[in-house]
Amino acid sequence: MSLQPFANQAVLELRRASQRAILIEALDTLRLPLQVPVWIGTQQRFGDELVSTDPSDPERVVALAARATPQDADAAVAAARSAFAGWAATPVQERAAALLRAAAWMRERRAELAALALRECGKPWAEADADVCEAIDFLEFYARGAIALGVGPELLQVPGERNRLHYAPRGVCAVIAPWNFPLAIPMGMTAAALATGNSVVLKPAEQAPGCGLRVVEALRAGGVPAGAIALLPGEGDAGAALAKHPDVATIAFTGSGPVGLELLRIAADVVPGARGLKRVVAEMGGKNCVIVDADADLDEAILAIVASAFGYAGQKCSAASRVLVHEAVHDVLVERLAGAVQALRVGPPEDFASDVPPVIEQSAQERVRGYADRAASEGRLVAGSGELPAHGWYCAPIVATGLPAGSDVLRDEIFGPLLTVEAVRDVDDACDRIDALPVALTGALFARNPRTVARVVARSPVGNLYVNRSTTGAMVGRQPFGGNRLSGTGTKAGGGDYLLHFVEPRVVTENTLRHGLVV
Amino acid sequence: MNDQELESEIQRVGLALSRAFPSRRGHPIRALDERAMEIASQDAELRAALFRFVDVVPACRSTDDLASHLTGFLEEIHDQPPSLSAAMRLGNTKAGRAALGAAGAAGVRHMAHRFIVGSDPRAALPTLRGLWRDGIASSVDLLGEATVTAAEADRYAERCVAALDTLAPAYAAMAPDERLECDGCGPLPRANLSVKVSALTPLLRPQAPDRGKRDAAPRLRELLRRAASVGAHLHIDMESLDSREAVLELVLELLSEPELATGPSAGIVLQAYLRDSPDTLDRVLAWAQDTPREAPLVVRLVKGAYWDHEVVEALQHGWSVPVFERKADCDANFERLTRRLLEARPLLRVAIASHNLRSVSHAIACNRLLGGADCDLELQVLRGLGDDLGHALATGGLRVRAYCPVGDLVAGMAYLVRRLLENTANESFLADQAHGVAIEQLLAPPA
Repeated sequence: MSLQPFANQAVLELRRASQRAILIEALDTLRLPLQVPVWIGTQQRFGDELVSTDPSDPERVVALAARATPQDADAAVAAARSAFAGWAATPVQERAAALLRAAAWMRERRAELAALALRECGKPWAEADADVCEAIDFLEFYARGAIALGVGPELLQVPGERNRLHYAPRGVCAVIAPWNFPLAIPMGMTAAALATGNSVVLKPAEQAPGCGLRVVEALRAGGVPAGAIALLPGEGDAGAALAKHPDVATIAFTGSGPVGLELLRIAADVVPGARGLKRVVAEMGGKNCVIVDADADLDEAILAIVASAFGYAGQKCSAASRVLVHEAVHDVLVERLAGAVQALRVGPPEDFASDVPPVIEQSAQERVRGYADRAASEGRLVAGSGELPAHGWYCAPIVATGLPAGSDVLRDEIFGPLLTVEAVRDVDDACDRIDALPVALTGALFARNPRTVARVVARSPVGNLYVNRSTTGAMVGRQPFGGNRLSGTGTKAGGGDYLLHFVEPRVVTENTLRHGLVV
Repeated sequence: MNDQELESEIQRVGLALSRAFPSRRGHPIRALDERAMEIASQDAELRAALFRFVDVVPACRSTDDLASHLTGFLEEIHDQPPSLSAAMRLGNTKAGRAALGAAGAAGVRHMAHRFIVGSDPRAALPTLRGLWRDGIASSVDLLGEATVTAAEADRYAERCVAALDTLAPAYAAMAPDERLECDGCGPLPRANLSVKVSALTPLLRPQAPDRGKRDAAPRLRELLRRAASVGAHLHIDMESLDSREAVLELVLELLSEPELATGPSAGIVLQAYLRDSPDTLDRVLAWAQDTPREAPLVVRLVKGAYWDHEVVEALQHGWSVPVFERKADCDANFERLTRRLLEARPLLRVAIASHNLRSVSHAIACNRLLGGADCDLELQVLRGLGDDLGHALATGGLRVRAYCPVGDLVAGMAYLVRRLLENTANESFLADQAHGVAIEQLLAPPA
């Protein structure tokens, strides 16, 4: 099989009315609610214990899902384990071909899938479309990566022996996915595991079972055997049961810090019946900072900061939440930034004119409002009033300044449209504050002196540093994505070495001497 | 007209124009500028370093800071020529940095003054009067930082009103110049202001053109009213494709409002580098057919100033590139649009804005062969970049308008960088001209 080199799936050109019309029509014809089963092998058990709703209109039910029990988790792992040998033995070209067909399946339905992500997770059109594209990218990228990995690296060879290293799949992989990239992230983790020959049990976020269903449908339509991919809509107990299962070899997780740390603890505990050490691939939260030096182009910095902090209401692990600005330009930046944020429109994701959609659910709204109250009492809100739609989990976009150094608002991942601004003496002061954080996911620097850029690059601990651009929008193959410190296990989704976390290297050395002769 | 007839008229017009170009020898400073640009256009790394320096000058806080940036950029050049190494050594001492920083800032200010005629409209008046005396009208463009807040949009609109109020009486006091003041359609306003919709609203969203349109509409309507009341022309510039729908729809909708049917004189821009520009012209013509105005809509035909942006944006997103990627294709489209525009008169007024001798000669020749009078065609040049061409055209009895940016250095830097890039682009007509490419080649049909 010869493949074109990887290229990112093009996002829709939404500045053209004809492309917008495609999406609007897809939303009009989207039939809801979806029925999402616990889907193990060919068995489907439907139910309505788990309900996902539209964040902009909570009365609208998007999906009715069966709620997986710990027993379902056991059954799913058992099925995945029995399918594992067959899938692992399938030639990598065939596995890759199945993923590419899954990508084609998604491409054909891209508008419908974007519409579903919009309804289920409140993703604005451009971001919903980008989510579909990223899911396709992961399939295409990891399919190629698995083929390349199949060749194995060169080893030193001396006469009389033949040394080979190959990468074998690890076994059953539990994929525990978030709702904020409801197609791309579950598909990315699942595709990486499948491409390398593992079987997968996918537990989508309880807020996004509908999107999880589509991920599994795409893979099965592409030809991934029923046993190799199971769908387990459910909540934390199902995820914990999966993670604890002795037959789960790998846990691929993207989500909050506390859950990620709990999964690492579970993995470290070798339970009776376990036949291996679990590996955890975890992408967790951040507290992402934007440094603005005195020589920054503020026109560009402000627009990029607004996009980084308020796109998808700040619900991206890459979103910016702190601005550390040189004191010489602090006042002008705050004034202009406040004005720019005041101009944002909070509204439903299907309205192309909305800037800030609702947050995912009521508890998120309450959390963000709690931090907003704290920011107001400890510091000063310079933007954050304005009309909110009456219905839906909306939060006003907020900019806060003057917070004391120890404030929780400067430390916690708020995961909502709340941005803080601090004046710093210089770039080194900013780097010190960033260095003091326990997390290190993304960051941005606005500066034009090449020496400043070099200094910050050298000092920055983050997994993804962006110079003179926004902190969000990493692209597969272009910006391999993942954080350091407590932000994650240091893996890079969409990067060349990601697949290595889903395999184990095996070395075979053959003695080629017979009767003293090299044969 | 047949092609042969047109080609020979283009050659005739072009040769006459090239002979009318002012001699360079009389301008030692300009020769020095051109030498600097020549060097920059030959060394990609040096060019990048210089542009990045020009770009950051307004944001530097001291000569020390300036020197640190300059040496920082120069450091990134491999194989530094000896003159650069000397500059780098200067950066090692405080006194050296002061000298280097001051020299760098002075150099950038000097360049900026060539393109930017004054810090505000009042300061620009001496230059504008000088141009008028030389037989050249103007369109003043107010440079500014990006508009990201409603307050900034209001401030830009206020600056535009103030500009109209300054320019109209100042131009009224200038001596009559028949050639600049009327064409076959009637009188032409003397004062002329170019405005940008992106500066009139912070809400331009490529995927939601209505939003920016609605927000900009009241501010632009006020400006149109003001232009009408002071008797000035208001031209609405076109920017990147991201905002084209909003800008075009906004202008055509406002000019359709009954109260604006009798005035002011107003205009839009057609960008020939866009592959779909012929369709845009169809829309404009259909609108003009349905919307009689006392002063016909002026269409300024340009190549387009956002070529790199359009190409990069398309490539980064995986879109088909919306602009012609071959210069000859763009030039050929420019000529086809020129002809269609000229043939659309008197429904429209036509302004051809180009520094390409071939494109300009084509417009003049085409107009003449279509039976048009020279006064029925406006030719536009950019202050600082098309000065020689402008004077040659004026000397040849043609109607010329210079696009004159006004603003402070901070505000003007993005404009300046774009102009400098154009001036040193490998394919630029001006570069060809500077390198002494034969006139026959400069006037050859695009292919």
